[in-house]
Amino acid sequence: MVKMKYILIGVLMVILGIIAAVFFFPSEEKRVEKQFHLLSEWVSKSPEENAFALLQKMKNIGTLFDEHCELKAPSQSLSGSYTREEISTYAGSARSHFSQLNLKFYDLHIVFPEKEVAKVTLTGRLTGKSAAGEQVDETREVECVLKKIGKKWLFHRIEVIEVLKK
Amino acid sequence: MAVNPKIRQFFFPSITPKFLIRAFSIALFAYLFFGYLCIPFTIRGGSMEPTYHHGGVNFCWRLRYLFSEPKRFDVVTVRFAGSRVMLLKRVVALEGEQVEFLDGKLFVNGKEIEEPYVRYPCHWNLPLRRVEKDCVYVVGDNRSMPIENHHFGQASKSRILGVPLW
Repeated sequence: MVKMKYILIGVLMVILGIIAAVFFFPSEEKRVEKQFHLLSEWVSKSPEENAFALLQKMKNIGTLFDEHCELKAPSQSLSGSYTREEISTYAGSARSHFSQLNLKFYDLHIVFPEKEVAKVTLTGRLTGKSAAGEQVDETREVECVLKKIGKKWLFHRIEVIEVLKK
Repeated sequence: MAVNPKIRQFFFPSITPKFLIRAFSIALFAYLFFGYLCIPFTIRGGSMEPTYHHGGVNFCWRLRYLFSEPKRFDVVTVRFAGSRVMLLKRVVALEGEQVEFLDGKLFVNGKEIEEPYVRYPCHWNLPLRRVEKDCVYVVGDNRSMPIENHHFGQASKSRILGVPLW
């Protein structure tokens, strides 16, 4: 009975150890996923958002991007290389057209084609309400390339994939 | 009041190895069946009105095209990066066919196609285009909105996940 007790305590400690390792030392995949969670959090907007929160989020969005990031979204007439300041300003301007915004990412497939390079294919869904009160619900497949600079994974390229070609 | 032992056993079964094996088998079967073969989904938006309504619940049957190809008028689910978010559309033209809309009427290879499922007035005009190899042309049944606000076009057959069960 005493032996069984020690075995159970041992198993419990191993499980706790694994949980702690996953929590404190996340895999590179988790670190990449975290960038998407942050992007989603900072792009999203609640109707009660104040000016201070708006400025803070705009500033934060810029920190997720590489010094120069290539954007390719033909349907939004957006194509070219942009600095993180330009992206931050563009995001702030785009957010101002909405009273409520919710960005969610689904089905993230992460691969590491090279060292310190991550390629992510995902579905992005943007829902909300425009400043004019219209409901917005847009879904797109997106391909992103992130580069590890220092200890951070930064967005280096974002391309909107055309699923249905008119 | 004494509860019938059979009823009590049904709602509060004894945790025996046999029970655990049965519960695990059912959970595994449900996970595989509803996760990969018959995926439940909720319809968001009205692009397939009046055939499918916003808020409706359905299942995507993935084995439908295991031994066959999509046919004209089939309603199919088109995936983005994965199966968490899909498009529900109707196949109106197949690979190699020429498709166009003239004042809301669908023409395939120059011949007008009767579409009894389109119930709302439509005045779309879309110049002639050929459906590429390994693609099908999909459109929603609700064409009452302006053409630029409707998500439709040719999709690769590899993106077709299955069909709704009803």
